[in-house]
Amino acid sequence: MEEYDGRIRLVFKDRPLAMHTLARPAHEAARCAGAAGKYWAYHDKLFAAQPRFRRGDLLAYASEIGLDADAFARCLDERRFKADVERDVEEAQALGINSTPTFLINGQRVIGATSLEEFRAVIDKALQERR
Amino acid sequence: MKGLSRVADRSPRVYYSSIGALFALLLALVVVAWPTRVVAQVELTWSPSMVKGPPGAPVTIVEFSDYQ
Repeated sequence: MEEYDGRIRLVFKDRPLAMHTLARPAHEAARCAGAAGKYWAYHDKLFAAQPRFRRGDLLAYASEIGLDADAFARCLDERRFKADVERDVEEAQALGINSTPTFLINGQRVIGATSLEEFRAVIDKALQERR
Repeated sequence: MKGLSRVADRSPRVYYSSIGALFALLLALVVVAWPTRVVAQVELTWSPSMVKGPPGAPVTIVEFSDYQ
């Protein structure tokens, strides 16, 4: 992102896979953090901590980044963002996206954790096409 | 043997029209399926809190990912 300063917008979409039973609460928890203005800090916590996503873990990560513990727990327990996560999953399925990570770079699909060089090449091509 | 001789007696025109009908059916299927493939689009939605970078950026990367 820093390398392409101001020329890239990154959108994160939830695609918890069905086989990952602890993923869905984690995605919902991240959105709770997002509602409190700390989506990306929590996102980074989750990737660093995977796959420790039990309720107690999710609450602990929230406290570590300074979120209000009670408000966060309520959001998580009420499953306030269940429908939003589900909408992302439905959009992914409609696009035939069944493995993660999958990237759409100006619509061009890149599947899997590809090399930085390959990723850069797709981005550079997309930038050239927009000139 | 009786049945075979009946097939052999059939006019070649019968075969041509069968092939023609099959071709027309395949063509119809392609015509019906083609616009669906081209038009099918998914309108993506996203939460502003899950976006990094300026809205006017020339490149948008949408990442579908799983935390686990």
